[in-house]
Amino acid sequence: MAEVVLNEVVKSYGNVYAVNHVSLTVADGEFVALVGPSGCGKTTTLSLVAGLNEITGGEIHIGGRLVNDLDPKDRDIAMVFQNYALYPNKSVFKNLAFPLQMRKLSKAEIERKVMSAAKVLDIVHLLERKPRELSGGQQQRVALGRALVRDPRVFLMDEPLSNLDAKLRVQMRTELKRFHQDLQATVIYVTHDQLEAVTMADKMAVMNGGFLQQYDSPKNVFGNPANMFVASFVGSPAMSLIPLEAVTHGSDVALRSPEGWEMPLSPQNARKALGSTTSKVVLGARHSTVRLHQAETPGAVPGVVYTVEPTGDITFVQVFLGDAVVIVSLDPSFVVEPDQKVWIEFDQERIHLFDGATEKALPAA
Amino acid sequence: MTIDVAHQGGAVPASSRRRRPGLLRRIVQNRNDYAYIAPALIVMALVIAYPIYYTVELSFFKTPANLAMDQKIFVGLDNYWTILTSKSFRDVTYNTLIWTIFSTFFAYVLGLGAALALNREFVGRGVLRAVLLVPYVISAVAASYVWKWLYHSDFGVIGALSVQFGFTDRPINFLDNIYTALPAIIVVNIWKEFSFAMIMLLAGLQTVPDQLLRAAQVDGANAWQRFWHVTMPHLKGVSMVTILLLVVTNLNSFIIPWIMTGGGPAGATDIWITQIYQLAFGRIRFGLASAYSVILFIVMMLLGYFYVKALTRGDEAKSE
Amino acid sequence: MSTQTASKPAPMPATPVRTRKPIDWWRWAGRGILAFLLIFTALPMAWMVITSLKTQLAALQYPPQWWPEEVTFENYLRLLSPNNAIGHEFLQYFWNSLYVSILSTVLGVVVAVPAAYAFSRFRFPGRQALFFSVLLRNMFPAVVFLMPLFLMMKWLGLVNTHGSLILTYLTFGLPLSIWLLKGFYDNIPPQLEQAARIDGATRFQAFFHIVMPLSSPGIIATAIYAFIMAWNEYVYALTFLNSKEMLTLPVGLQRFFAEYATDWPGLMAASFIMSVPVVVLFLVLQKYFVRALTEGAVKS
Repeated sequence: MAEVVLNEVVKSYGNVYAVNHVSLTVADGEFVALVGPSGCGKTTTLSLVAGLNEITGGEIHIGGRLVNDLDPKDRDIAMVFQNYALYPNKSVFKNLAFPLQMRKLSKAEIERKVMSAAKVLDIVHLLERKPRELSGGQQQRVALGRALVRDPRVFLMDEPLSNLDAKLRVQMRTELKRFHQDLQATVIYVTHDQLEAVTMADKMAVMNGGFLQQYDSPKNVFGNPANMFVASFVGSPAMSLIPLEAVTHGSDVALRSPEGWEMPLSPQNARKALGSTTSKVVLGARHSTVRLHQAETPGAVPGVVYTVEPTGDITFVQVFLGDAVVIVSLDPSFVVEPDQKVWIEFDQERIHLFDGATEKALPAA
Repeated sequence: MTIDVAHQGGAVPASSRRRRPGLLRRIVQNRNDYAYIAPALIVMALVIAYPIYYTVELSFFKTPANLAMDQKIFVGLDNYWTILTSKSFRDVTYNTLIWTIFSTFFAYVLGLGAALALNREFVGRGVLRAVLLVPYVISAVAASYVWKWLYHSDFGVIGALSVQFGFTDRPINFLDNIYTALPAIIVVNIWKEFSFAMIMLLAGLQTVPDQLLRAAQVDGANAWQRFWHVTMPHLKGVSMVTILLLVVTNLNSFIIPWIMTGGGPAGATDIWITQIYQLAFGRIRFGLASAYSVILFIVMMLLGYFYVKALTRGDEAKSE
Repeated sequence: MSTQTASKPAPMPATPVRTRKPIDWWRWAGRGILAFLLIFTALPMAWMVITSLKTQLAALQYPPQWWPEEVTFENYLRLLSPNNAIGHEFLQYFWNSLYVSILSTVLGVVVAVPAAYAFSRFRFPGRQALFFSVLLRNMFPAVVFLMPLFLMMKWLGLVNTHGSLILTYLTFGLPLSIWLLKGFYDNIPPQLEQAARIDGATRFQAFFHIVMPLSSPGIIATAIYAFIMAWNEYVYALTFLNSKEMLTLPVGLQRFFAEYATDWPGLMAASFIMSVPVVVLFLVLQKYFVRALTEGAVKS
């Protein structure tokens, strides 16, 4: 296993930057998830590490070796593809054997390694079948097996679970996590599903528009999003973002809405709000930190219920504060109706404030 | 860490400027990729591109009969003038139009009929389709001789049958009669190529969504209405391509008229291609024949323009 | 109520009949068309076979013998026995055709496969040019190329050699072959090669071990199309070849006809033998051939 270092990596097509000066370090044995919406550059980043795309600028090191100009075959990596990329004309056995054949191992050695990988993944009974005769989950295992047979230095995975149905996906998620723990393998895992990243990864790298937005543990990415994009991307339902204006009354600072209500800020939040480059400040709040009142309450701001979505153990309520939407989670026993007038109270300790112009999180001053 | 959300928007206008690096630079950048296509490019340049250029060049020259091209004489547009003002050009063009229009029309109509009739499951469908395709596959030379024998003035089976069924008193001499020769060879041409239209349209019919036909049926459309309002619009693109390919093939056909009648009797079946071949290799007038080719070539270019338009219109429809 | 039930039976049976009738009519119209086309298609071929089984004398009769009074295979035996002059000559044409067709097909595939692969996988300027060269090739009459190619072959010293035909056929098949094969490569996910390259294959090994086997239907389709075109080609063979022992079948047949003008049964037998390889090839590999014909137009 090995460490992977990306240093100011750039991939551009003409003037279009698919990957824009991305730097990150994946420690030996770490499971890192690259997340972001489609087209954010995460898959391109993975291809650059794999050597399937030619790098435009920057450096990639695998296990301390500069691999910029190395062929994929010389990088000693394994990759699991979204559509599994099993060789359709080869049996499962031959699929697993192919990477070993290419490395010119002896027949006996190939046989031994394929069998042991097949045993680990419980696909011994499938070895004579062709890929098209397998179910999605079985194909997934074979794809994993093909990566596993030759203990590479790094595993690259490109949305390996996205073609599975929901139930199987949850099951494979646990197996993948288990597999990572057993092997202590270095894994770079691309997904657009932030839940997968949060549940499996040691660290997640959130990307958007070719830029790395934040690289940190899932806990920190969730708890301290670096900017509005990360805030709205990570977490489900997404963090509510309400554009407001910072106003000062003597030494007190409050946030004022276009409708005219004001929400006084705690001293710590006031210092943050004053750090904004303009008076525009965006208030962010996760559904679980917001309280809903049926009657007017001091410190709470007025809104109108838009929809009520019961999900079983939690009911999500969307409330309009002017033009902005706030999502609140409630106990199912709490009764609210659409179009009802309600009051929303934010927890000063747990709100997030963003600079309305730069969209970055406002630092505690 | 670089955070620049605004840059997302910046990527869009940049894509329209993607063509900025110079052509030469891009070719040099991709030189390894060109190794794959180099052999194809070289032979195509030699056998396709160069002859096109050379034909255009020759069309401005009077060429000697011994084909020593260093003795050719520049005559400007004389060759074109000679052709366009000759009476034979008018007659040959007339024959070419009749030949092309009738062949194309009947090949398409018969092909459409066959495709529609074959577009349902029944026993022997595959065999029937295969049999109907055989004329398209076999050599036009063999086909021409077989039909020549069928049309034979004394012992031809068609003449004998028409006497047998009482259509005529005596066998007709189809190929030696200036009124029947052209229709007779058009029939052969239709025989040879209708199944091409059939197979194209059959493939086109597979793209007609079943759901749409069933929906139309539920909406109360009868068989004809379903054909006209659902099936035909789906066949439009394939039909355009098929008809254009048929037109081009027919304008280019040589073997059937050449073998069956040699352009005769009295030039009744002489079409552009046979005329050009006759000029070039019968009378060894390469310059004149080249000018003739260029005229044909211009007609083809115009047709090619419509062909590309028909193809790209299909694309636009798809992307909408 | 009673009047309604009384009046109902009359239109009731009429309605289902009226809705069913047009369907039947359409089906019968379809059968009629197919029957007509089957006769139109098969009769000339049947007459070719029947005539080829007659003696020369029996063929030249009026009214014709609808079925030969005396079935003879002599026409075939004469053409296929190398010991007599006619058979010797005919077999020579046959082998010439086979040689030229196979060689131009194989070479055509060898040149087309990498080019098609490149057009499918790489981006470089000039990709559209391929599309236009396919068009160009379809648009231009063979005769346009005939004169300059004849002069060029003369200059290269290839006139009256099979090389001239092989070069011409392989090139003229190329645009379509590349176009067709590109369609096949477009349908093979590039991830398969990427997986192979990560598994330790070079670009060439990935292509050879993974992509090539998957594209074999495309290669077969292209090859039979090219073979049939080459086998049937007449104009270039007519122009480039002049000595008797070099001729291919289509030209040879014509010469054969000129020499033995009244031997219709022999000519029909020769036409039949000439059609056998392409028809057999077509019947065996029908689905590939149909794919080759329709791929470009229906998809693009």
